[in-house]
Amino acid sequence: MTAGGEPAVGSGRPVHDDVACAAALVGLPGMTPVRLARLLHGRRPAAAWAALLSGADPTASDPRWTVMAAATDPVEAAARYRTAGVEVIVEGDDRYPDRLRGDPGAPAVLLCRGDIAVAGVGPSVAVVGTRSATPYGEQVAAELGRDLAAAGVSVVSGLALGIDAAAHAGALAAGPGARPPVGVAATGLDVPYPRANARLWDGVARAGAVLSEAPLGSPPRRGAFPARNRIIAALSDVVVVVECHLGGGALHTAEAAARRGIPVVAVPGSVRSPASRGTNGLLVDGCAPVRDVHDVLVAVSLARAGRDAPAPALRARTFVAATGRDVAGALRAAGGSGDERCPVDDAAARAVWSALGPDPLTSAALAERTGLTIGDLARACRRLLGAGAVIEGPGWWRRRW
Amino acid sequence: MLASIPSAVLHGVDGIPVSVEVHVSNGLPGFTVVGLPDAAVRESRDRVRAALLSTGLTWPLRRVTVNLAPSGVRKGGAGLDLPIAVGLLVAAGELAPASVDGLSFAGELGLDGSLRPVPGALVVAGALAGTTLVLPEASAAEALGATAGEVRCASHLGELVGQLRGRRPWRHPDPPPPVAPVATEPAPDLAGVRGQALGRRALEVAAAGGHHLLLVGPPGSGKTMMATCLPGILPPLAPQVALEVRRIHSAAGLGPPAGLPDRPPLRAPHPGASAVSLLGGGAPGMRPGEISLAHGGVLFLDEMGEFPATVLDALRQPLEEGRIRVSRARATVDLPARFLLAGAMNPCPCGEGGTPGACRCSESARSRYHRRLSGPLLDRFDIAVRVERPEAAALVGPAGGEPSAPVAGRVAAARRFAAGRNVECNARLAAAELDSVAPLTTGACRILSAEVQRGALTGRGVVRVRRVARTIADLEGEEGPVRSHHMDEALLLRCRRDLLLGAAR
Ligand SMILES: [Zn+2]
Repeated sequence: MTAGGEPAVGSGRPVHDDVACAAALVGLPGMTPVRLARLLHGRRPAAAWAALLSGADPTASDPRWTVMAAATDPVEAAARYRTAGVEVIVEGDDRYPDRLRGDPGAPAVLLCRGDIAVAGVGPSVAVVGTRSATPYGEQVAAELGRDLAAAGVSVVSGLALGIDAAAHAGALAAGPGARPPVGVAATGLDVPYPRANARLWDGVARAGAVLSEAPLGSPPRRGAFPARNRIIAALSDVVVVVECHLGGGALHTAEAAARRGIPVVAVPGSVRSPASRGTNGLLVDGCAPVRDVHDVLVAVSLARAGRDAPAPALRARTFVAATGRDVAGALRAAGGSGDERCPVDDAAARAVWSALGPDPLTSAALAERTGLTIGDLARACRRLLGAGAVIEGPGWWRRRW
Repeated sequence: MLASIPSAVLHGVDGIPVSVEVHVSNGLPGFTVVGLPDAAVRESRDRVRAALLSTGLTWPLRRVTVNLAPSGVRKGGAGLDLPIAVGLLVAAGELAPASVDGLSFAGELGLDGSLRPVPGALVVAGALAGTTLVLPEASAAEALGATAGEVRCASHLGELVGQLRGRRPWRHPDPPPPVAPVATEPAPDLAGVRGQALGRRALEVAAAGGHHLLLVGPPGSGKTMMATCLPGILPPLAPQVALEVRRIHSAAGLGPPAGLPDRPPLRAPHPGASAVSLLGGGAPGMRPGEISLAHGGVLFLDEMGEFPATVLDALRQPLEEGRIRVSRARATVDLPARFLLAGAMNPCPCGEGGTPGACRCSESARSRYHRRLSGPLLDRFDIAVRVERPEAAALVGPAGGEPSAPVAGRVAAARRFAAGRNVECNARLAAAELDSVAPLTTGACRILSAEVQRGALTGRGVVRVRRVARTIADLEGEEGPVRSHHMDEALLLRCRRDLLLGAAR
């Protein structure tokens, strides 16, 4: 077999390139972005690897590393990433995103599925929010994602359930010619998390890029999610928070953005909706409100103008005109305008239909609002369900949108 | 000299006849009790001695041996004080043996000679049928009706000795008033429940079919109020069950349950109550617990998620068999416990979960909360509904809802259909019977199989939904096959585990 690689000549250890060493370094046990940054401070991965192997590296945070490094072949590590279709990018390389250069929390090594070149180039907007989103939030996120992508803005998000997923789904739905999206994951790029979003990951990677700091095979870890949020913020011109509970994770992203001087804008929600408490709080704290894609584009153009990039301001105005039509179309497709005709011709079904909106209502609330007997309510709901007009959740109903 | 006095002790909800044999002989003065007495019986000596002395009687300075027969049964409680004292007086020659002929005794003695009530007088009386039972005045009324024999009473040992010597007249307890005294609280009525169409319907179907019911909703949604209305719409107890209920309450030392004698009881134990007080087997005499006190009526577990998992798991046997077998260190007892289980829960720790976006709990807090309810227990509920806080309009509106009486009428009518199927209620229909007593129309069958196909129903779930659908049809007066709109409603009311997980997407 010759495929096993060149036999090392002589007694010295082979000298590996930076990418191979970086691949080996991220996979060391107990490695975190902070530890890796300390290890690679002021030197290239090959030098850091050699220092680790020598066993006399004062920046090595974990005593296991020297032992593990001796047992690890960087060439093999690099091959694993190549096979998985994951690119290893070291800070300082040409392909490292411009926008992350010089960031106080810049990842020392970035892993990428898809095309790293799309990240951090041109206008980009983070669309983030709660995993436990209402249909309202998901709908707004999907529309923003789609209209931003159509307007030539790259949509950055965290690939989580709820708002994140809706925003990316919207961006992917904007069709060919739209700006490719960027996902930032907190797990290994071969460990889609949550599993329900596996197809979305593939879609984002195929159309744009999915980035992570975590080595292949890395499971969801508590600290990785807030760390991931700083990259989302750093990659964006503007952060849009669509829906967020008080103390929700999206507020970390907003904070990380604020620390970097990146504007945070928020979508207002019902004052009665817990999923909007965080976002409404941001509005009270002075964040600009977002009603539709136009408000975001204005914020983007202002942000980029502030960083003396005049062109996008012009483009933004163009897209305002261009997307006006799309928003109306999206609304029509969503059926959210409220004047849809009831698809089942029956008085009880009509009563249920007009009581239902896109937001879920429990059977109890539905009975209260329609005044129907429970038997009539059950029959009407079943008929609407059969017509594909409503969605049944555990104990609640809403219109399909 | 030897005296033998009939008495009885409690074991669960049964009375066990005990013969109290007292032997007084010359020898070193002493007092020994043999025949498996518990601590309370051994302490009898001190109470009996003090009572005799306070009454002006003499305590024999001789050797006293008390034997409790049969010797294989453990005897508990202070109810043997009185037969021991009487036996002692006969054996010591203070009373003529003929004076206690045909009499049995039960009661506790106070140090001043007063006769204190005993728990379970009704059960004791049942075990002593055929004798004339002498009881403390406060217990005597409870025993009436449980024995064909005569019941006499006294309030003090001195009075009793006078009666036995023929110097004072015997007294008899007053029969209890035919209806409960006006002082008892009126049962909560559905008229006080505003709005809550779904909750009301769930109560009515649950009562009509004897279906266990789970109410899920935020604090303030009236779950407790609704559950406490259940006894008022359940059919009155059959005479046989009413007697069982009285026996259980008597054995627990509670006297007859409040309200009309045929009103189904409602027990609402606190989640912090001990396992013994909930399940039974406490001293003395393996007394019945809350779940047996709910026999024939409603066991309401408010904040069901707060009950210890061991207690909830222990409910599975009674839910299946209508009895609970309790084993303690020295004894095992079988206690009746056939009840309608009504549970109430918050959907999640913050109480707001139920529709997407409403819950503020962390994922881990929510799953910890839901893990407490085992799947098998949740599977026992035929009906589970999510209830809401009434909307403001319903609260200030003038009218309450339909009162309990007409609902109870519909429930009773529906139960007559069940009686025609030789079951007490549809919840007890065997799965194998369903095809003959609850056949489905094609439409209903199509709806049900669609639910099964999309994975929304397990095999067990199908059986439960069919029983509930049968009850809904019965309520409508429909004796034929279960039709599609009955099935629609049964599906709306069914217990789905994810009802508690509704906040997750
Ligand atoms: Zn909650």
